[in-house]
This record gives sequence, C-alpha cells and structure tokens, in this order.
Amino acid sequence: MVERIRREFRKRDLCYLGALLLLPLIWPDPHLHHLLVLAGIYAILALGLSLFLGYAGQISLGHAAFFGIGAYTTAILTTRYSVPTFVAFWASAATAAVIAYLIGRPILKLKGYFLALATLGFGEIFLVMVRESRSLTGGVSGIFGIPWFSLAGFSFDTYLKQYYLIWGVLLGLLLFAKNLVRSKVGRASLAVATSEDAASTVGIKVAQVKVGVFVVSAAFAGFAGSLFACVMSTASPEAFGLSLSILIVMMVIVGGMGNLYGPIVAAIFLTWLLDILGGYQEYSLPIYGVILILLLIFFPEGIGTRLGIRLMYLISYRGRKKKREEVQL
Amino acid sequence: MPLLAVKKVVKDYEGVRALNGVSLQVEKGVIKGLIGPNGAGKSTMFHLISGMEKPTSGNIAFRGVDIAGKEPHEISGLGMGRTFQTVQTWGNMTAVENVMVGMHRKLIGGILSCGLWLPWIKREEKEVLREAFGMLEFLGLSAKWKWPAFQLSYGEQKILEIGRALATGPELILLDEPAAGLTPQEVQALAEKIQQIRERGTTIFVVEHHMGMVMEIADEIAVLNHGELIAEGRPEAIRDDPRVIRAYLKGTVYA
Amino acid sequence: MTPWSLIPHLLTSGITIGAIYALVALGFVTIYRASQIINFAQGEFVMLGGIITFFFLRGGGIPYPLAALLAVILVIIIGLLLQVLVVYPLRKASVLIPLMATLGASIFLSNTSGLIFGTLPKVLPPFSGERPLEIGGIPIAPQSLWVLGATFLLLITLYILSHRMLLGKAMEASSTDPLGAELVGISRNLMVLVAFGVSAGVGALAGIFITPIFYTSYNSGTLLGLKGFVAAVLGGWGKNGGAVLGGFTLGIVESMSVAFIPSGYKDAVAFVILLLILYIRPKGILGSPFIDSRRW
Repeated sequence: MVERIRREFRKRDLCYLGALLLLPLIWPDPHLHHLLVLAGIYAILALGLSLFLGYAGQISLGHAAFFGIGAYTTAILTTRYSVPTFVAFWASAATAAVIAYLIGRPILKLKGYFLALATLGFGEIFLVMVRESRSLTGGVSGIFGIPWFSLAGFSFDTYLKQYYLIWGVLLGLLLFAKNLVRSKVGRASLAVATSEDAASTVGIKVAQVKVGVFVVSAAFAGFAGSLFACVMSTASPEAFGLSLSILIVMMVIVGGMGNLYGPIVAAIFLTWLLDILGGYQEYSLPIYGVILILLLIFFPEGIGTRLGIRLMYLISYRGRKKKREEVQL
Repeated sequence: MPLLAVKKVVKDYEGVRALNGVSLQVEKGVIKGLIGPNGAGKSTMFHLISGMEKPTSGNIAFRGVDIAGKEPHEISGLGMGRTFQTVQTWGNMTAVENVMVGMHRKLIGGILSCGLWLPWIKREEKEVLREAFGMLEFLGLSAKWKWPAFQLSYGEQKILEIGRALATGPELILLDEPAAGLTPQEVQALAEKIQQIRERGTTIFVVEHHMGMVMEIADEIAVLNHGELIAEGRPEAIRDDPRVIRAYLKGTVYA
Repeated sequence: MTPWSLIPHLLTSGITIGAIYALVALGFVTIYRASQIINFAQGEFVMLGGIITFFFLRGGGIPYPLAALLAVILVIIIGLLLQVLVVYPLRKASVLIPLMATLGASIFLSNTSGLIFGTLPKVLPPFSGERPLEIGGIPIAPQSLWVLGATFLLLITLYILSHRMLLGKAMEASSTDPLGAELVGISRNLMVLVAFGVSAGVGALAGIFITPIFYTSYNSGTLLGLKGFVAAVLGGWGKNGGAVLGGFTLGIVESMSVAFIPSGYKDAVAFVILLLILYIRPKGILGSPFIDSRRW
C-alpha cells in the first residue's frame, strides 16, 4: 500500500518535472524566460526561509543580507581573483552559512518581534557596510562584469540555459529540504516552533536546532545570491534591502507555513505580480503595499495551506477508512 | 542512593516564596505521588526538577548528579522525562512523529547527512519509526498512528505525551496531573498504564489532584502545602494524617 | 579640526534628533501597550507630518500654524484608518502577520506620499529665525530649542493624559487586563483606536518639528521609525520613561559617533547598539514589564 502511494507521488512529481522542462520551450518568450529565472532565484530564497520560518517558526527580516552576501562573495571572487564561478557558487553559500552561524548564536535566543527587529538590524548593518567599504564592494554603484555561470567549459549565457541551471539547482535544494523535513531535523524544528519547553524536555537542544536551521536557510540564500550575481552580472546594494526581505517573508506566508512547495509557487506568483505592477510605473509600489495587506488579511495562513488542509483532511479520511478495513480483516 | 534527591529547595518568585526548604526523595522503581491544594508548589517543584526553572537555593540530585541549574535538555539526557499540566503535544505532527521526536537523541545524523538522506540515515529513520510504532502499540494508540496530534481526543493526547516522554528512554518520568480532564474510564485505563510503565522499569513521580487514582497506584505520597512539605509516607497513612486533612479542608476539597 | 572640538555641536544635534527618536519611541510603546502590536508604519507618521505641512504651506499658502494643525489632523485620520482597515481585521493573528501588514502599510504610505507630494526632499522654514543663538559659546539653532521645548510640553501633556485623566486610566486598564476592562465597559478596540490616534498625532508633530532641521523625503520615515523602535528597546521596552531615555541616548550616541567613525557608518550605529542591547540586556536600561528574565 505504502509503495503504491509512493509510486503515485513519484508519478505526480514526474508530471511537474516534465512541465518545468518543457515550459520555456513551449513558450519561447525571452521575457518569460527572464521572469522564470528570477522566480527560480526567489524560489530558492523562499525555500530556505521556509525551513526557518515555516518549520522552525522563527522570524527573519534579514534574509536579503544573506542573499547579498552570496552575491558579493561571487562578485568579488570572480572579478577580483578570477575564481571559477562554480567554485564561487559554493564559496558563497559557505560564507553566508558561516556569517549566519556567527550572528545566529547570540541573536536566536530572541523571539517574536525582537528577533524580527534584530535580523532587520543585521540587514541594515550589512547594507551600510556594503555601501561604505568601497574598495571591496564598489560602494553604492556596486560591482560590474560578473561572468556567466559556467561549468566545465559550458557557459550559461542565455536566459533559457540559465533557466535550466537555476531550476536544476532549485530541484536539488528542494530534495535536500524535503529530506531534512522528513528527518529528525524537521521534526525537531516543528517541535521547537510549537513548544520550546516541550522540545527541551525530550532532549532537543533548542538553540542548536534554531542555529542549524538558520545556517541552512542562509546557505540557500547564499546559493541564490551567487546565481543572481551571475545572471545579472552586477551586484549593487539596493537589490538587497529590507524590501527584498519583506518579499521573501511574504512568499513563505503566501505559500503557507510548514510547506515546501507553497513558497516556490508563491515565488512564481509574486515575481509575476511584481512584473505586472512594474507596468504601472510610479503606482506600482503603493499598489504592491495594498496587495500585501490584502493577502495578509484574507490569506493569513497562505493560499497553499488552505488548500493543503483540505487535502490533508481528504487524505486522513481515506487513511482512516483504509485502517478500518484493515481492522475488519 | 535514591534516584532523585531534593534537598532544602527554596524558590522565590518576585517576593512570593513558592517553595520553602522542601526536601524529598524518590527511590528507584517506585510510583511516588505528590499532592497538595492548589498553589502548594507542586508544579513549581516539577519545573525545578526538570530544569525549566532554577531553584533560588538548595540542591537537586538525580542519579547522583547535581542537576540544579542544568538545562532541561541536559537533564533529559541524564534520563528524565516529563509531561505537562496542559498538554503540549505537537498538533501539526502525526502521533507517531510526536513519539519519534522523543527519540531525537538516539539519532546521530546531522544536518548534512539528513539532507542528503544517506543510506544509514534511512536505516536509522526506519528503525526509529518501528520503535515509535511499538510505543504507540503499548499505549493503545497504534490505530491512530498517522493522525495529526490535534485530531486526537484530549485523553489520547495526554497518553501520547506520556509516550513521547517514555521514548527518551528515561529512568524517571514526571507526570504532571495526567488524569486531569479525563473520563472515569480513561482514568482507570491510565492507572493501569502507569503501573505497566513501572513494570517496564521506569520510576514514576506523579502530581495529581485525582485522589482516588493516587491512592490506588502510589507506593508513597508526599504532601505539599504553602510551599512546605507537611507529610510523607504510605497512602493509608497520608489519608488519615490530621495535618493533611486540615490542609485540604482549609482550601478547596478535592474528590 | 580635531574630533573633540566638534563635540558640543554634535551633542546639541544629538539631543535634537534624540527628542524626535523619543517621540517616535513613545508612539511605538503607546500602540504596543494597547494592542500588543508593533506598528512598523510609525515612522511614516513622522514623514507625513512634515511633508503634509510642507504641502499646505507651500502649495496651499495656508499660514504655518494652521498648516501644521491640518497636517496633524490629517495624519491622525490616517492613523485611525490604519487601525480600522489593517490592524483591526488582524487582531487575532499571531505576531508575524500584523508585523508584515504594518510593513506593507509602511510601503504603501511612503510610496503614496512620493506619488502625491513628489519624491524630492523637503525642508520647512524654521519656526523662528535662522540665526544660531550663542549659549555658553556654543551655537545652537533656535529650531533645536523649539524641538526640545515642544517635546517637553508634549511629554507633560501625554503624562497628564495617561496618569491624571480617565482616558489614560481606561487605556492602562485595557492593556493590563483586557477582559476585566471589557467587563466594566471599556472597549478594548476603542482603546486601541485611541492609541493609534495618539501615536499618529505625536508622530506627525515630531515630523513637523524636525523637518526644518533635517530634510524629509517620502522614504525617510522607515529608517526613522526603525530607530525609534531601537530607542524604545534601548530604554526599556514598554515604558514611557524608557522610550524617552532611550530616544535621547540613541540620538546622542549616534550623533557623537560621527566624531570617531566615518559618517557613512552613522546609520549602522543604531542597529549595532540594538544588537548589543538585545544580547546583553534585552530588558533595556530601565527594565521592561513585558520581558521576563528567564525567557530572554
């Protein structure tokens, strides 16, 4: 029985995968490809934050900083030291992870609003540092001429190629996240999110779990930042401010807490929404603000989770019916 | 050497003395009850023993180790489990996952090995799943192993919480009012379950308002009143102790 | 010029901006005590206060005091609308949702202001004279004195309002025991509404005081708001006295830092202080009734 369900899931996943592979080919519009590339990068960010916010229940309004750390690591390594992009890609995630570890230890004992404020403060400090250390980061104007991502001589130099690169990375990270979530790490995170007291009395080191998940989600942001730098070929501070942090948190909320696919879908949705709003010029940001508020008022549990709960009831009902049949046998 | 020895413990909360020099011991292999009127300091005692709060003075030794001032997860690692007065199961996880969280320390995988789902992690997870399912069978919850915990009844959640504490493999388990809010039938089943847990080799220390149940299952009872220990001994002796009767009559009378 | 010779000048400007931080911090605390919500749009009230006054003064040709009064009233209305339209529907949600919603409101307010009033930075004329007064050999802009005096008056008014009048007592009751207050006929929602009105008004006044000294542009509210929040935490979260003390401390430290580190880093100072205070003493200087020592 379990095997059959697993096979069914596999079939469903294969359908999604097929759709992802074919989508840009069916619809060969470079603008769409560009959007999908951006959406993929945001999806990696949202996926990482989803582990921290959606599973471990901790607020971070500073994730744009880790994204920026990733982007600047790649930018500096590739333009100043001619490091291959593939190596810089891993170095970016490692740098983001190390910094997350260092600031996570003291910060993560905070909760709620105070954690939100502390992470937000970290993001602001990062921005000031980037703007002011001109010799390293190029200050306000940033760093230009970051090479395309390339692997073993193959350069990802069109949106289409980048699309496959980024969604490939996303897929890999999604698998990683899925494994984490179904393992002890995921269970401990959910436990910490609901009741730290109960978690600590069964022997979970609450601080360690929080820092661990924070580091993983920062590493995801680092990967995303590295890819972003390669795709945009520039890195400048205004891309990594509070508004991006807000956007990522919104992706997780809209996608639904405690859910990995939701934030990815939400990333696509919000990227598309921002692209449409871009057409309204100076009206775009006020409208964006209103849409954020409306989403929060009408879908505080996320669009994904509402559907998800309904699905879960369906499954658990079927599960119960099955169980009953087994008992009768 | 007793399994748990509390010596002259004092706990102050901003001017209010919740516990005033209480000493008591729990021997290995017994079921010990802790009773007393509301506000007597029973829950405070449990919070101190499980490390969720620090005593103002005095010391607490568990298996010969001083645990006053240790973190809850360290105390859990030494072999102590506990439940809470108001259930704290994790509603968004299934029943079996709730128990599996209790086995957290048995799993040695780290973040990378879990994320990569290495073969030995897979084996480890399977093993833990089987063990957790076994625990649910012992508690009589195995039919609902896949239910999210929030869909279980209150009584079932209380049992599940005990299962989660047992899953840590404790020497001593603290039960904070396990019978509160249960139906008479459930209380009866719970009493039997507690005795079975003792037979499996776990020592039990239980705070309870349900006198009938405490008198039935406990080998020894300690009575707290206004933060002081007023009596300790066998259930029959406690029942007839004039100080205990007075303490209860002055406060609310419990069934 | 050595850094030390700058100190008197930096001190006066630190005290001036400190007064503004104190007022913003007070706005945060007022709303938090009534509703357990942190209103991240607090800084926008300040920005709107300055910019709307400028609009009436320059665009409408309305006399200064009247323009300021109209601006305050308008901002109070915006504050009330924020409560009714955004915060009230979310009163039952957990921490994260109202937080994000007020951030959304902040995005909306600042960009709408940019849309209506233009994105150029604005500066109001000083209330009286431009020539600096010499006090003990230190030149002080008259506007700084205005800011200090007005802040002082405002603090006294707020003190009387919250400690000597029935309204203040009702608010206090509603924040400490909402159910009990509800039972004796104090509506919690009304109190939250009043709190938003008061914070918006105080914020707008702060904006009007400060715009003659510092340029105000459509996007300067966010950072000001965040620093006000830092001030409230620094002084002792939830206490009015803490908000005032934190505001002045932050203003002075931030301003003085310019003498010792490159001025570009000035905006980071507040947040470094924030991280330090949260790590070392989250209760803040005066202690906080909302932060229990064990859990933090």
